[in-house]
Parts: sequence; C-alpha cells; structure tokens
Amino acid sequence: MDVDVIVRNAPFIFGGLYLTAQLAVFAIGGGLVLGILLGAARLSRQPWLYYPVSAYVHFFRGLPLLLVIFWLYFLIPVITGRSLNEFAAAVIAFIVYEAAYFSEIVRAGIQSVSKGQRMAGLSSGLTGVQTLRHVILPQALRTMVPSLVTHSVVIFQDTSLAYVIGLREFLRRVNLVDAREARSLELYLFAGLVYFILCSAGTFTGKRLERKNRERKV
Amino acid sequence: MIEIENVSLWYSKQTRVLFNIDACIGHGRKVVICGPSGSGKSSLLRCINGLESFQEGRILVDGISVLAKQTDIHELRAGIGMVFQHFELYPHMTVLQNITLAPVRVRRKSLADAETHARRLLERVGIQEHAANYPEELSGGQQQRVAIARALAMEPKLMLFDEPTSALDPEMIQEVLDVMTDLAKEGMTMVLVTHEMGFAREVADEIIFMDKGRILEHADTASFFDNPRHDRTRQFLSRILR
Repeated sequence: MDVDVIVRNAPFIFGGLYLTAQLAVFAIGGGLVLGILLGAARLSRQPWLYYPVSAYVHFFRGLPLLLVIFWLYFLIPVITGRSLNEFAAAVIAFIVYEAAYFSEIVRAGIQSVSKGQRMAGLSSGLTGVQTLRHVILPQALRTMVPSLVTHSVVIFQDTSLAYVIGLREFLRRVNLVDAREARSLELYLFAGLVYFILCSAGTFTGKRLERKNRERKV
Repeated sequence: MIEIENVSLWYSKQTRVLFNIDACIGHGRKVVICGPSGSGKSSLLRCINGLESFQEGRILVDGISVLAKQTDIHELRAGIGMVFQHFELYPHMTVLQNITLAPVRVRRKSLADAETHARRLLERVGIQEHAANYPEELSGGQQQRVAIARALAMEPKLMLFDEPTSALDPEMIQEVLDVMTDLAKEGMTMVLVTHEMGFAREVADEIIFMDKGRILEHADTASFFDNPRHDRTRQFLSRILR
C-alpha cells in the first residue's frame, strides 16, 4: 500500500471533489425547484399543463442519465449555436433529468396533504398557487424529507457520470491519477471511502431531520 | 343575499348529488340545513363559495354569480367565511399565523395590523392565551374556535359552517355553539349544516331539510319543528329529537 500517492495528488483530487460537490448542489437544488413546479403541474386540472408535463416526466424517466448528459452536451450547441462548457452542460442535464424524479416525490407529497387543507386555503380567498405555497407545500415537504434525502444521495453518487463529457470531477481525477501513477488499489479504495463517508453523512442527516419532524408532530 | 336558482350537481351520470335546488337566503338570516347524511347538504354549502362547481343553474351572492367567468372567485370567497367539520387549521403554523395568513396575503394587510386584529378575535372566542401555540396543542373545541376566528379575520359578510361540531367530543360542543350563538346575535348572515337541533331551534330563522339531493322543506324555524309538512321530515325529526 502506498498511501503517499493520495497525499501527493491531494490538491488535484480534492479539487475534483469540490467540483463534484458543486455539481451535486446545483443538481439537487435546481432539480428540486423544477421538480416542485412539475409535480404541482401534474396535479393540475388544466389539460394544457397536465399532458405536456406528464409526457416530460415519462420521457426522462425512460432514459439512462448517461444518455441525457451526452445529448445535452452535443445538442445544446447545435440548437443555440454556442458551445457549452462541460460543467454547465452537466448541471443542465442533471436538473432536467432529476426534476422528473423529484416531481414524482413532490406529487406524492402533495397528495398526502388532506383535501380539506386545500379547501380551507381556497375558502379564505387565497389563490390556488398561494394555497399551494403557504398551506400545502410546507406540509408536503415535511413528509417528503426521507425520499428527498435518499434521492439526493443517489444524485451525489451519479455525478460521476459527468465524466463522459470530460468533466474532471472527483472520480475522473482519481482515474487520471491512476493512469499516471498505476496505483489502482489505493486510489479506488480511497475514492470508495470518500463516497461512503459523504453519502452516509447525507443519509444520517436525513434520518435526523425525519426524527425531528416526528417529534414536532407529537 | 344568496340566491340559489335551479342548481344541479353531479360527478357522473350515476352520482347525482343535487337536483334542481332553489333557495333564497336573506341578509342577516341564520339558516340551518339539515337532513340525513349523503343528502347533499355539505355539497350545497360548498357550491355557495364555488369550492364545488355545479353543472346547472346559478348561485348569486349579493348579485354576483359564483361560477360566472367574469367573477373574481378569490375576491368573492374572501368575503365568505367557512368553518369545516375537521377544523382544517394549518398544522405547520401557530394559531396567530393561521389567522393572519389570509388577511396578509389576500387583503394585503400589514402583519402588525393583522396580528392586532387576530388577537382581538382570539379574545372574542376566548383563547387569547394560545396565540403562540400550534393547533395540535389545542383541544378540538379550541381548534374549532380558532377556525372561526380565522374565518372572521377576513371580515366576511357571510359565514358558512359545515358540521362544525360533528367531530367534537360531547363536552366541547357547547363552547363552539356559544361562539356561534354570539356571532348570530351580532347579525352575521349564517348558513349552517348541523345536526344540533337544539341549537337550530334556538338560533336559526329558517330551516332547510334536504334528502337525496333535493330540498324537501324550507320553512321558518317554528313551523318546521311544530308543523313539518313532509312525511320524510317528520320521520327525520322523530329520530333526531329523542
């Protein structure tokens, strides 16, 4: 075992981890915001909203993420005529793709709030959007916390897929170091350990949030 | 004034809920709607503020048609308070926040004004000391009184009550009825779906009796109880007044 290979390349590798973290934050934040909009739209009674959004969700849920990252990277320049850097392309691909998954979590969360709450909001003169924002969503988000955390952890793991368009995120950099130094065992064990610790921390935080919710409810 | 003209409501061909309902409820009147469960009482109530959209007929509230395209339904609802069987307080907000939400968001009141008004209303329904509590920390009777205060915060000209005491423990019913009786004395126009016949007799000006989606009887309170015209009404009353 040559642990020194990690120390020697630490700035390079952790620079990649920083990029991975950034990508995950944008993907989760953007995906959730778009997911809330899509999830709410799928519960709309307006056919012009419901059908296109449902089609969108089904479309992206039926594709591998890897393919979507590829597509966007090569498609966006063709459509807009401007080339896109790898990071921006990856962020857009993740948001567009994960929003479809988040929307399903959001939809289930909204449906878990009783119909009477919506009626109470509407009867007081609030609009549908105001009722959703002030009455339904705060309650829905609380029940959604466990699923949101689980899915966010999955997204964090999936950020490594951005290597296909040449983004030098954490795992890609480990890979590059290995190509130079030929220390596969140490490097990949280390990479696994980092993913494991960070994902466990995420899961643990989720559990704590869940418990806190339950205590407040009693 | 509420004018209900020939209103029919159905969810599908098999499930018709309301059949050609006609009724007129004058300003300041207290009208109790009663009848067996499934008779369409609550649905009719929800038609009045457009929470339920009916397929035929029309309902005018102070001359404004509830379902007409040009009607600002949110503005109309803001002037109609509604109280629900299961309270429907917002569980993630304190009592005070429950009451100030609509005045701040719909009436664009400042939070300070809304809170001052909310505290006055809480005093009126007798639970000023619970302003900072969450609904789950209150008894059912207290929750329903908060719900009434919340509806009153919009200064409605009309109040709708949908079985406000049906989900309450027996010992809490009276405290809610007392608040409603006070409100009635102040001249509020009230439409109430309730099984509290003692309350109805004492407070209501008129009684509407419904069965299977139709109004069978609409009479002033005294003649409804003393001289029910319809067999079905007599049957219902004999069962409920024991």
